[in-house]
Amino acid sequence: MKKMDLTPMLKPKSVAIIGASRDPDKVGHVILQNYINAGYSGRLYAVNKNADADIMGVKTVRSILDIKEKIDLAVVAIPAQYVPMALEECGRSGAKTAVVVSGGFAEIGNTKLQEDLVSVAEKYGMPTLGPNCLGVMDPRSRIDTLFLPTYKLSRPEVGGVSFVCQSGAVGSTVLDLISGEGFGLSKFISYGNAAHVDEVDILNYLMDDEETKVVIMYVEGIKRGKEFIEIARKITKKKPVVVLKAGRTAAGSAAAHSHTAALAGSYEAHEALFRQYGFTIADDLSDLLNYAKILDSCDFPKGNRVAIITNGGGTGVLSADAIGITESLQLAEFSPSIASSLRKQLPPLVNIRIPLDLAGDADDKRYEIALNAVTSDSNIDMVLAIVLFQTPGADSKLAAKLVSLKERMNKPLIVLSVGAEYTAMHTKMMESAGLPVYESPTAAVRSLAALLKYARYRGMK
Amino acid sequence: MMELLDYFDGKRLLDKHGIKSVESRYVSSAQDAVAFAAASPIVLKLISGKALHKSKAGLVKLDLKGPDISKAYSELVSKGRLLKPYRIIAQKMAKNGVEIIIGGRTDEQFGKLILIGLGGIYVNIFKDFALRVCPIKQEDAQEMIDQLKSRDIVTFGGKNRKILVKLLMDVNSLLVENRSISELDLNPVVARADGYVAVDIRMLMQ
Repeated sequence: MKKMDLTPMLKPKSVAIIGASRDPDKVGHVILQNYINAGYSGRLYAVNKNADADIMGVKTVRSILDIKEKIDLAVVAIPAQYVPMALEECGRSGAKTAVVVSGGFAEIGNTKLQEDLVSVAEKYGMPTLGPNCLGVMDPRSRIDTLFLPTYKLSRPEVGGVSFVCQSGAVGSTVLDLISGEGFGLSKFISYGNAAHVDEVDILNYLMDDEETKVVIMYVEGIKRGKEFIEIARKITKKKPVVVLKAGRTAAGSAAAHSHTAALAGSYEAHEALFRQYGFTIADDLSDLLNYAKILDSCDFPKGNRVAIITNGGGTGVLSADAIGITESLQLAEFSPSIASSLRKQLPPLVNIRIPLDLAGDADDKRYEIALNAVTSDSNIDMVLAIVLFQTPGADSKLAAKLVSLKERMNKPLIVLSVGAEYTAMHTKMMESAGLPVYESPTAAVRSLAALLKYARYRGMK
Repeated sequence: MMELLDYFDGKRLLDKHGIKSVESRYVSSAQDAVAFAAASPIVLKLISGKALHKSKAGLVKLDLKGPDISKAYSELVSKGRLLKPYRIIAQKMAKNGVEIIIGGRTDEQFGKLILIGLGGIYVNIFKDFALRVCPIKQEDAQEMIDQLKSRDIVTFGGKNRKILVKLLMDVNSLLVENRSISELDLNPVVARADGYVAVDIRMLMQ
């Protein structure tokens, strides 16, 4: 498999924005503005065929051919019919990569125009992303080809999760959501029509990208099945990939000639492949974020036994129920020595069994006793700490204590907190410090199950 | 263009890969069928490219003995008028067991796929199946079985698990080594605690 080098696209030393404009209604204006806002520190050029002066203080030329250096990344934001010509100029100027954000190609039936684009990209061996995409974002190199203004779409922090997305709409909403989560972004790559660079090339790049710890992806369809299998087999041995595949309801063809074909349509084939090669399958957008969060911040568990520590009895029981529903997880039991040591340290009203209900007045000290015990108990593999911040003992001190305990703990620890503003504030604090927090027992428990599943895959293969 | 492979050509392919199927023969008259039955109960089936759901369409006559054989034969002949060309096949009645489906299909993106599920009339009701991309490994076959909600029924509480894993591996090589198989249904395969037998074979070739 020929590997495309996407480094100049994501770590460009120089960027030219073709279609940059003074007119705030133009896509090229927003993109240029975003580069300025993001604080891109490489050499930035605006390209506009009618320009007679610099745009927004950025050095402006009429053609990329007028730039003296070979550009790493050309961002193309002009009407579709002019794109192949502009790309031709990019190729001739020695530009290393291109991102075509413009729409109006195969997605509306203009396949010829798209073929033209591909043949230029191939002629110059110039990895070209899109067309019809949001492009790329890398908060480390401060590049941002998104044509969505930052006041409308918040940008995530720097982190280890890379997000690969075919759809621009899903891409932008998920990015917005990620910015509200505690985990940060490594790369965002929206590849649209996948005319030249497709998911195989992108995964190939991310597999060896040291800044990427977890890959999450949204796909509608995979174009090169055989090559995809090849990369799928390799990447999940190095890092987790969470995938959300659209098109679930498009079941096997109704007019199928066999039962097998009626059961196993295209969606099912994709799902089978993902399962087989250790992808973490998300059923919806919340799964995508929930799984990313736990895979990004937790070590692999050694087994499937989960301890629940709570300051609310009911939520503890609901979480135990959620564990019962999964086929893989199991509620842990304290080993006798740990149980008797806890008995001595905890007040008499606390029953020493899991779920361990520390009672409504539990404070950071009581949690610390409990969490130290589960840390040293070899019968426990993972910990779900439920903290209901509505109770008298739960406050910022407790949140901080959990964060510091997580750092010392050699097993996965996640938190479940349900509530409004006061809770949300603490959720944010804990997540920013790398402690994943969930809003429902189901989400928390499903995420633990996903972590265990991937850990087992890694242990097996 | 896909075409239905002759039942016995399909059976020979199964034999070659060590996949067991029930003793069968084409019959061209009621007497033929009676002779095939000897003293044991048989099944008569009408096979036509125009009929996928044989049992739903009343094209499968089960557990026939003595005079029932001739009666069933003429019923099939009259149903066959609308389904030409067709042939009638006689099979020895399989012992009781759990009906499962083993299938395969060529996916345009990923190539050959292999499937195991709860079979017979339950295929479309429960849609309880597991699918993988070929070639599969032993561990994949194990996981496929584990993925079935009906795994305890299908494996008789684990008793025939090894047999089913072997069956999946054999079907895997059948699919991988015969590129022209576009769709495969072994439905049902009658699984028992100590073995299995495929009682229907449907192979579509490219």
